Amino acid sequence: MSDRIFGLVILIVALGYIFSATLIQTSFLSDPVGSKTFPYIIGGCAIVAALVVMWKPETDPYWPPAITFVRLGLAVIVLVGYDYTLKPLGFIIPTTLASGLLSYQISPRRLPAVLTGVGLSVGLFAVFKFALGLGLYAFPKAWF
Amino acid sequence: MNTIFKRFAAGLIVSASLTTSAMAAECIAPANPGGGWDFTCRTIGKIMYDIGAVDAPIQVTNMAGGGGGLAYSTVVNERNDDEDLIVAASSATATRLAQNAYGGMTADQVRFLGAIGADPGVIAVAADSPYKTLTDLLDAVKADPKSVTFAGGSAVGGFDHIKVLMALGRAGFNDIRAVKYIGLDGGGDAITQAIGGHVQAVTGDMSEVVGFLKSGDIRVLAAFTDERIPGFEDIPTAKEQGIDVVAVNWRGLYVPKGISDEAYQKWSDALAKVAASDEWHEAMVSHGLAPFTKVGPDFQNYVNGVIGEIAQLSRDIGVIK
Amino acid sequence: METLSLLMDGFAVALTPTTLFLAVIGCILGTIIGALPGLGPSNGVAILIPLAFSLGLDATASLVLMTSVYYGAMYGGRISSILLNIPGDEPALMTTLDGYPMAKAGRAGDALVLSGVASFVGALLATFGLILLAPVLARLAYKFGPAEYFALYILAFSTLGGIASKNQAKAAIAACIGLGISMIGIDNNTSIVRFTYGNLHLYDGVDFLVAIVGLFAVTEVFVFIESHGKDSAIGVKLGKITIPVNDILLCKWAMLRSTLIGFVAGILPGAGASLGSFLSYSAEKAIVKDNSMFGKGDPRGVAAPEAGNNAAAGGALIPMLTLGVPGSGTTAVLLALLMTLNITPGPTLFTDRPDVVWGLIASLLIANVVLLVLNVPMVKFFVRILMVPPWVLLPGVTMVSFVGIYSLSGSTFDLLMMIGFGAMGFFLRKLDVPTVPIILGILLGNRMEDNLRRAMVISDGDWTFLFSSWIAIGFWAAAILGFVGPMFLRGVLKKPVPPTD
Repeated sequence: MSDRIFGLVILIVALGYIFSATLIQTSFLSDPVGSKTFPYIIGGCAIVAALVVMWKPETDPYWPPAITFVRLGLAVIVLVGYDYTLKPLGFIIPTTLASGLLSYQISPRRLPAVLTGVGLSVGLFAVFKFALGLGLYAFPKAWF
Repeated sequence: MNTIFKRFAAGLIVSASLTTSAMAAECIAPANPGGGWDFTCRTIGKIMYDIGAVDAPIQVTNMAGGGGGLAYSTVVNERNDDEDLIVAASSATATRLAQNAYGGMTADQVRFLGAIGADPGVIAVAADSPYKTLTDLLDAVKADPKSVTFAGGSAVGGFDHIKVLMALGRAGFNDIRAVKYIGLDGGGDAITQAIGGHVQAVTGDMSEVVGFLKSGDIRVLAAFTDERIPGFEDIPTAKEQGIDVVAVNWRGLYVPKGISDEAYQKWSDALAKVAASDEWHEAMVSHGLAPFTKVGPDFQNYVNGVIGEIAQLSRDIGVIK
Repeated sequence: METLSLLMDGFAVALTPTTLFLAVIGCILGTIIGALPGLGPSNGVAILIPLAFSLGLDATASLVLMTSVYYGAMYGGRISSILLNIPGDEPALMTTLDGYPMAKAGRAGDALVLSGVASFVGALLATFGLILLAPVLARLAYKFGPAEYFALYILAFSTLGGIASKNQAKAAIAACIGLGISMIGIDNNTSIVRFTYGNLHLYDGVDFLVAIVGLFAVTEVFVFIESHGKDSAIGVKLGKITIPVNDILLCKWAMLRSTLIGFVAGILPGAGASLGSFLSYSAEKAIVKDNSMFGKGDPRGVAAPEAGNNAAAGGALIPMLTLGVPGSGTTAVLLALLMTLNITPGPTLFTDRPDVVWGLIASLLIANVVLLVLNVPMVKFFVRILMVPPWVLLPGVTMVSFVGIYSLSGSTFDLLMMIGFGAMGFFLRKLDVPTVPIILGILLGNRMEDNLRRAMVISDGDWTFLFSSWIAIGFWAAAILGFVGPMFLRGVLKKPVPPTD
């Protein structure tokens, strides 16, 4: 069943891709193949492969219970939040929070998670900044 | 051993303090390391510090994206008043601005600081090619456009392509659609294809062909300059052959629009000092650059003129609507 | 003999206490950079160029430092591939396929030592190839026009079916995902943007590093949150670390064959190190008699790609030095370094600046030996990474990946895409869809299309042009006879196995 759904998703995406390719502007210059041909071929191959997968699905994989997906969703939110705060807040604070939260998700004990967050943010900052010379800021620029 | 270790440690501290020091300026190369913009930032930045035109080493940041568009939009939108920022630019920047390839941003949203060297445009063929002069080559295209494929280091519609179309236009050939051009990843790639006989001619910059010229693998048919290039006096200009095209790839810088006139002046002075330095002359010679110094408002006017010309030409050939 | 004396001069330049010290530092930094996901050899070298300047090093010393970093990163990439199933950079991608299963079986130490030796063999032989044949081999690049490159990419994709997946259709879907993604951005042949939906960040396309780090590192975190470390190499009881002499002997032909393939791939500017390791792996799998263990921890599956990618790194220096054409991202950075040192590579470099060329070659040899000497004893230290508790290790790897990608472009958007790739990777892994073809598609898709279209521009749309040279015909024949044909024949010959299996 999972494979059938996967095949269907790929099929829909491939059709959307081909439709999107039809909207590409055409060029006026000497170019026998054009901008659309290759995307069409790719979309076509994907459709054929998706149909094969739907035709001959494999056995379902193990899907974790719903609560696991909630936790995975939280992990995504943490990472996206990290992404958006890295620039304005500098390296240390977002890294402490994000790595601490991830650590807590993997092993739900508070103290080790806090220590992991602090340790990683300070340690990695030192490595990146001083050994590799990356242009990172420790804290928000406005603090200086 | 001991001293080198100390220097190493000192270097670490210097490079670490680079990024936080308020004095340290930044040069954005709007491409990955290895290209012309990267060269501009690294060489000019290094010389500025070496000759004492700036107090601290200039940090080079590579910001690839959108053919320079990402760096341009970052400067315009996020760092419009950053006085410690210079950005590498070249004819490609002007070409893309002229062709509206930076998502609607225009040339007047930054201040062009100056150019201090230019890479002359050239057309070359493999050493065993039947074409001996630019006229031979252009005549062959006129007789049968299918018989000649040009290869260049820029994409279709880029500066290398436009140079060919300009030359053909001056020679009286206007069937743009029929001209065969393939864009490769760089000048060296394009030349390799010509030497291998896969294409008939190469359009590129002087710096890209110098090594192959010395080794005798290629013949340069014409340089798109006013005068013959110093050091390569045996290469005829296109003008001499009756094709009135001047196309050089200048190497220069722009700064954010919102900086004070004092800061603009400070950077102009620093750039002018680099232009006059021996170090820069050495770098120019080894990279096949010809002298081309325009700094300050003079340069701004020049860029505006070039952008107007390319925009007109791009409309003529249909690259922009 | 002249070559030998020139090489000796090179050693005289490169073998001073100062440069040796720099070589050691460079090798260590390079290994670390290579092992960190997202920081590959190219940005490693790029990051360290300013350091060379601020140290005020001369040309030779800078070259020694940078080549050590370059080779160090090529060595280092395998470490995270083997231990964590996360390739440190794109040439180390193939090493995950058999290296990680070896680590899961408690043989992480063996895999690391073996891959270190394979890297050494590949790099050393490639350096000799560079010394003896560079001027001659540079001519090989002239033979490759659009038709030949297109055929080479066809060969690469036709080998995909044999890799990593039991299900050819799923491998094909993965390849299509990669190819589809590679179409995003400015179309080189018309300067028209495709599939960007007005987003300026997408104009240059999707960086394959973003995809690699997303699909491997971020996915690994999600998998870990789900499974809490069941079926991973972390915390596996490690065997005693010895030099796996039997494995090394078993792999000697694999290493030599892969070195040759990798070296040739490196010489071709359109192929590069990742194609070298990829083709080495699939060729090895096709050649050996019993390949049932490939993908499950076959030592040859570790030795082949590592010898291949390091040989390719050496081979890639040939077009860079003799033609000024960089064959890979890293050689592009080294090219930039040479240019900033006022050395312009090209056909006359070997005669104009023999001091630079032979100094460089000598420093490559030095870096190689230093790396072997450093790496084998350091294996004991590396495998300890697996003893770090996962609640420290995984957040750490994630943060390193984010900073690695962030340092590429400073773009929030790239990080978002990386998280997206991570989520996609989680579902793909559940569904047993291989991710290697996605990366290959992203890496080669554009070049494949560009070369097809260039060929058609040159030939005015005549498709027979694609088969117009013996080189091209050879690649097509190898693709069809060696890989595509057997895929269908297998179905016919062994009846019980359905054709899609």
